[in-house]
Amino acid sequence: MSTDTMPTTRPALFRGAVAAEWTKLFSVRTTWWTALAGLLLTAASAGQLAIYAANANTNDDPADDRGIVTVGSVLIDSVELTQYAVLALGLLAITAEFTSGTIRTTLQCTPSRGRVLLAKAVVAGTVTFALGLLLGGVGVLVARPVLGDWGSAPTADTIGDIVAVATYLALVGVLALGLAAALRSAVLTLTVLFATLMIVPLSLQEPDIEVLNRIADVFPGVAGGHFLAGDAEPYPGWVGLLLLAGWAGAALVLGRAALRRRDA
Amino acid sequence: MTGRAAATRRKSGWRGGVWARWDGGPRAYRQRMITLRGLTKRFGATVAVDALTVDVAPGRVTGFLGPNGAGKSTTMRMILGLDRPTAGQALIGGRAYRELRRPLHEVGALLDARAIHPARSGRAHLLAMAHSNGIPARRVDEVLGAVGLDGRAAAKPGRTLSLGMGQRLGIAGALLGDPPVLMFDEPVNGLDPDGVRWVRQLMRSLADQGRTVFVSSHLMSEMQLTADQLVVIGRGRLLADAPIGDVIAGSAVAVRVRSPHPDGLATLAARLAATGATVEPVGTDELTVTGSTVDRVGDLAYELGVRLHELSPHGASLEQAFMELTAGSVEYAGGPTGSGAR
Repeated sequence: MSTDTMPTTRPALFRGAVAAEWTKLFSVRTTWWTALAGLLLTAASAGQLAIYAANANTNDDPADDRGIVTVGSVLIDSVELTQYAVLALGLLAITAEFTSGTIRTTLQCTPSRGRVLLAKAVVAGTVTFALGLLLGGVGVLVARPVLGDWGSAPTADTIGDIVAVATYLALVGVLALGLAAALRSAVLTLTVLFATLMIVPLSLQEPDIEVLNRIADVFPGVAGGHFLAGDAEPYPGWVGLLLLAGWAGAALVLGRAALRRRDA
Repeated sequence: MTGRAAATRRKSGWRGGVWARWDGGPRAYRQRMITLRGLTKRFGATVAVDALTVDVAPGRVTGFLGPNGAGKSTTMRMILGLDRPTAGQALIGGRAYRELRRPLHEVGALLDARAIHPARSGRAHLLAMAHSNGIPARRVDEVLGAVGLDGRAAAKPGRTLSLGMGQRLGIAGALLGDPPVLMFDEPVNGLDPDGVRWVRQLMRSLADQGRTVFVSSHLMSEMQLTADQLVVIGRGRLLADAPIGDVIAGSAVAVRVRSPHPDGLATLAARLAATGATVEPVGTDELTVTGSTVDRVGDLAYELGVRLHELSPHGASLEQAFMELTAGSVEYAGGPTGSGAR
């Protein structure tokens, strides 16, 4: 029965689901606090890393350009820490629904689990990307004067780094969302993410054994790091980007399967 | 007028800012039916819902009764596609809920009045629901008005809402898409007497408009005032599915007989016992008779010439019918302190 004269095409239904998720995200103050936390973390982290970079420099002569770092590289290093504030946005988009019970309302409105999760991914990805651009700008503004003579900020490269950071954060945000849909708990998701992004690959790299290093290279945090640094080894930066995107996509598939199978 | 315009006019839809409904015909009737067929839900070894087969029909209020833990909420969640049935199916107008494209226009449901984000305002909660189903924002204000939540109450964050306000917000959400099928899980919980009366009238008017209204409650007295049809379950099993009058009439009615003549009363008691009724003396001037009717006891007393001071039916309430139906199916028996039920 379609008593409805409104369009019920897939794109129309998807637009509706996205609008609903957008409304939900921006009608709670947590979103703004999380964004603010991300901003402060970035400013503090980029500032501190810039101080280290300047202080650690044993070369006394700024005219000799050895030891000069780009602002973008400082920004990229600061993401290691600030990403946790940003990915909180992605995972809270669904764990808040589980804890408050609104997931039932959401699934009543949009019974297609895939559509719900994809709408959340679009909103979380868009918002974390925009926030990433903002954080990148703030990180550069803080780090540049601190680096002083020991920093350089070629315009095109810096803008490229900021966009790369925003892309990385958007993908990690979506990864967090998909994982949270499967795991349901914010704390558990954050723990698993911390392990996947940092602990496990670091442990694998620790003994410096070739095989283990290659395995570590596939992990999302490492892959994202190669993408951000624009490395040529062990694989080009764009492969790192694809690997990270693959992780985010796999997490969404996992989350969708969990939402479909489990009772809400 | 083109054929298309004529077809559109017969359908429901947003016209001139009002959701206009097309009602009528046996097809529309079937589309408003909730049909449960062998619906079963097991959680591990526990059977929460046990092979329920029920039709919930439009145009009347169907009360869904059962003790705590009987499986009422689980059944409703399965109808809404939230819980997966272990076996059987729950259909609305012949279709599973998960197949509905804009479900708020077809089924409105209040499940849990506390299910709102603690920091989100009631209005934003409804607005997100409206967006998801292509419902214009002004409809949100309409339903807020309809349930008696003013702008100030609707702007308050979820955590500050009382249970009663949460119920009103939940009912507003159910009404949002102007659906022909409505389900309410314990809608009067936390409402003040005015609110209870309002819900009662709302259920009535929704059913009178030809909608299907399926309401669960543990308040038997409330159902007696609201429901036309009763579906009673205990431990997940269907105990009764009948018009409310039949459920009450089907319960054993006790008859109280009072007489100033102890001898006559004793004779009457003996004769009643001989007909198979159970007679219990209360003091010397009163009897409680079960397994008979007021008419038969009265006739017999007249035959025997026993003078009566009282002859009354006793306990023929839904409450008693319910207790009899669910006896043996109560999950937690009340202890001496009466603190057994969840």
